[in-house]
Amino acid sequence: MHKNSWLRQVAYQFALVLVLIFVMIPILDIFRIAFDGTIRLAPLDFRLWPKEFTFDTFVRTWQNPSQDLSVWQLLKNSLIVSGGAALLSVSLGLSMAYAFARMRFTGQRVGLFGLLLGSLMPPVALMTPLYVLLTLMGIRTTLFGLMLVYTAFSMPFCIWSMRSTFQAIPKELEEAAFLDGASAFKTFLRINLPLSLPSITVAGLVAFLTGYTEFAIGWLFVESSKNVTLAMALSGAVNYSGAIWGSLSALVFIMGVPIVLIFLLLQKYLVKGLLVGGLEAGDE
Amino acid sequence: MPSPFSEAGGLMNKNKLAFFFLVAAVFGLALLTRLRAAELLPIDYDEDDYLSAAQYYAAAIRRGDIQTVIDYRFNYEHPPLSKLVYGLALLSLPEAEQVPEPTDPNIPPATSLPEPQFHRVRYLSSFWGVLTATALAAVNPLAGFLLAINTWHTKYTAQIMLEALPALTSALAVIFYTVGIRRRPGRVAGLNPWLVASAVMLGLTASAKYMYCVVGLAILADWWLRRDDEQGVSRKGWQKWLLPVMAWGGLAILIFFATNPSLWNHPLRRFWESLFYHWGYSQSAHVKEAGLPYYQPLVWLLISVPWHPGVFLLPVDQIVTVLAIFGLGRLWERQRVFAIWLAAALVFLLIWSTKWPQYILMLSVPLCLAAGYGLEVLVIDPLIRLYKGWRNPSLVQKQYEKPVTWRQNLAALPWLLPGITILTIITLFPLLYQLAMSLTDLSNMSLKDGIQGGVWREVVQGISGQVEPVDLDVYNPQRANEVRYTGPGLLKDIFSGGLSDLVSFEIIWTVLSVGLQLGLGLAVALILESPNLLFRRWWRVVCILPWAIPEFAGVLMWLQIYDPQFGWAKQTAEGLGANAPGILMALTRWREEPVISLVLMLVAATWYGFPIMMLAATAGLKMISPVVYEAAAIDGASGWKLFRQITWPLLLPLLVPVMIIRAIFAFNQFYLFYVFESRTNYTMSYLSYFLAKSGFYAISAAINIFVIVVLITLILVFSRWSRASEGVTYA
Repeated sequence: MHKNSWLRQVAYQFALVLVLIFVMIPILDIFRIAFDGTIRLAPLDFRLWPKEFTFDTFVRTWQNPSQDLSVWQLLKNSLIVSGGAALLSVSLGLSMAYAFARMRFTGQRVGLFGLLLGSLMPPVALMTPLYVLLTLMGIRTTLFGLMLVYTAFSMPFCIWSMRSTFQAIPKELEEAAFLDGASAFKTFLRINLPLSLPSITVAGLVAFLTGYTEFAIGWLFVESSKNVTLAMALSGAVNYSGAIWGSLSALVFIMGVPIVLIFLLLQKYLVKGLLVGGLEAGDE
Repeated sequence: MPSPFSEAGGLMNKNKLAFFFLVAAVFGLALLTRLRAAELLPIDYDEDDYLSAAQYYAAAIRRGDIQTVIDYRFNYEHPPLSKLVYGLALLSLPEAEQVPEPTDPNIPPATSLPEPQFHRVRYLSSFWGVLTATALAAVNPLAGFLLAINTWHTKYTAQIMLEALPALTSALAVIFYTVGIRRRPGRVAGLNPWLVASAVMLGLTASAKYMYCVVGLAILADWWLRRDDEQGVSRKGWQKWLLPVMAWGGLAILIFFATNPSLWNHPLRRFWESLFYHWGYSQSAHVKEAGLPYYQPLVWLLISVPWHPGVFLLPVDQIVTVLAIFGLGRLWERQRVFAIWLAAALVFLLIWSTKWPQYILMLSVPLCLAAGYGLEVLVIDPLIRLYKGWRNPSLVQKQYEKPVTWRQNLAALPWLLPGITILTIITLFPLLYQLAMSLTDLSNMSLKDGIQGGVWREVVQGISGQVEPVDLDVYNPQRANEVRYTGPGLLKDIFSGGLSDLVSFEIIWTVLSVGLQLGLGLAVALILESPNLLFRRWWRVVCILPWAIPEFAGVLMWLQIYDPQFGWAKQTAEGLGANAPGILMALTRWREEPVISLVLMLVAATWYGFPIMMLAATAGLKMISPVVYEAAAIDGASGWKLFRQITWPLLLPLLVPVMIIRAIFAFNQFYLFYVFESRTNYTMSYLSYFLAKSGFYAISAAINIFVIVVLITLILVFSRWSRASEGVTYA
């Protein structure tokens, strides 16, 4: 391939600067609003950098988010619900994913199709019947109920992605273990599980994020203000007509920054876990 | 070859007689549907106007008064050819009382019009419609059949409208072009008789109705691409292309002036007037009052003519549209110019500000051709394969798989048990329950009865015929205290086009947002993968950033920028004071303006979605072997040519699975619309959520069932593309 001339280099760098501006516009805007001390209710003038840089809004929001609970309690609820959903999805789906990857049984193809359908189904499509059914079980308004709902949203995808991980492990390794006299369970425990641990973590992380960032369905299910999660608090602040922009933006930071850090740190694994499968198919 | 028009392949070529019979059958069927409609349809808006014009022309011609024909100004926004031809048809009839020229478009049409003049003109218009269907049948009999029964085409060719003639001539212009371009070039400017005929037809189209001239653009585009194909990667040869194209276009313009008497005295001024009339009209109260949204043309395509029950033999236009989607691939392969025509006409209709239903006749022909191919792909080809396999079993390569033994099942069972148990409780059973709910009128009032077994009770009794279904008024649902069986009526309504407004928006939203994400993502990936790029690693992090931000948070950031009261547009406008340009004020009104809100939401969706496309494209680019590029470089290819002929064809198969997954996500997008509190543009998920929130669980469930069925169809298409639905994951 021919080398880039300097003209091309300049053109490319210029194009990338345009992309940079596009990417940074909303991020800068929310940064300015969250850290500008002059904003009382909403910004009145156009600027990209805070007029008076301050952490006050942050501190105030931290001490008194829009809901009755403190940020810690909101965070605790979020962690219980989404962490529980991730744990349920991974632990209960693990053996199923392995069976789909390595064993043969009746209805395997239909099951696979069902898993794909389940991973691509919009949460709302499952929400309506779950609402009725959880009401019937009497747990609709509890954190446990919400945990089950988020499990239903993320479990099919978890199984699907863990399955592709197990499939990618060379069969020879397992066969060697079998020859040494290990049982199927032992092989799974000693060989497959450790080898695919990073990908399983990624699957769990995706399940976690599904719950962590969900709010609309949460608001439909939850009635008591004790059970509000962080994402729900944020969306509640948006819908509240006298929304204070500063604290709203601060909440976005509190909620978003950890996720961005996780994404950037685990970038390599996440990209692999989310994309490799899609390209495998074309590679065959 | 049975017909110069039909492409190679298919059963048809084997038997000339059968082909002729099929075309004749389409002719007969089209005649039947058009004449029936011409008899039964009531007098519609505009029919009296055009009959009046025809009478006027007829009277002038009878007097031999050509000057009057040239100067006649009524309805000058449309060129006169259609009306003039209608006038010629009246010449042999005795003169009837002149129908007055209507003055106000809002006045209902006349209740009676002079006979036999009225039906004479309707028959003539119908005849153009029948010819169009027959001509299409000569290209592909299935497509001709679908056009013959198409309700929109039937209605607007059977009535006295201006659509029938240009619909015919535009179709002929394209068909003649497809024949001519495959034959030897002629001696004069490279035009052979078929291409000359095509130019003549295009000129007539312009004289009949301007907008049908999009076929001219389609022909030009196809001609250009054809040159591209033939010339390979070298750059030469565009002069060879230009001469015939200029000759063809010049001839068309000549015919346009020759057949358009209103231009004979002051050609340019009159042309200008008639062309710019539309601008004023599109801003007029008449058009605005109609209140049709920008996606209305898609709505027309997704329903059959709703106003005249009993007139049309087979009102299945929505099925034709769905079939057309499946036939697009084959249409592009076999009759590319028709595919370009379809796309160009659709884009035109979506942008054009008047949305009258008759305009969709612009694309009826390519739509039916695509649907014909769709029928081949989905039904006929599998049947032929089946038949051949039955005649000669050795042709069918059956994959031999050992049957699963009960031992294997038993071994797998403990592994599957935990997953199956919980999935049954939290997904499988709820979905089944959802289906049952959609057959009832379950609402928040009857929830108590519902969860105590009311839903199952009603469904079981309803299906076994013990209770009669209750009517459910979807627009004003009654909430009863007890669950009642409503039957499959609601599902039937939804599946026969009841949600066509939402589906139209969803199609536009999905295509545009995935297209934009792909465009930007691919461009960035190509730049990032170019050799010797400086700061590559930093740029990559920047471009991944939006992907790392939760969708909800990202959308919220954009919302703060867009805010009508405190957003950027408003802040800037206030800073500028009275000098603020109008566009800024328009931007602050996006909540009331559906098109502006669509654009703003697309910006946010692109911002959030392009990194994934970039990651996919980067991964794909890494898989293309550098040897291919080296070979191309030796051939002298570079820049755009290199991309179009090497990179893109190799990359596309790798991108399609990701595109389909992204399309499914866009189709189901919910949080974006929720945060934007969108009132005019939204998806079915959004509607379903709010119905459930207001307590109409049954209607919400029925919409969900529809969404899931669409999803299953998309996934089936998807697994065909990615061969085995094996390792495909999110993205």
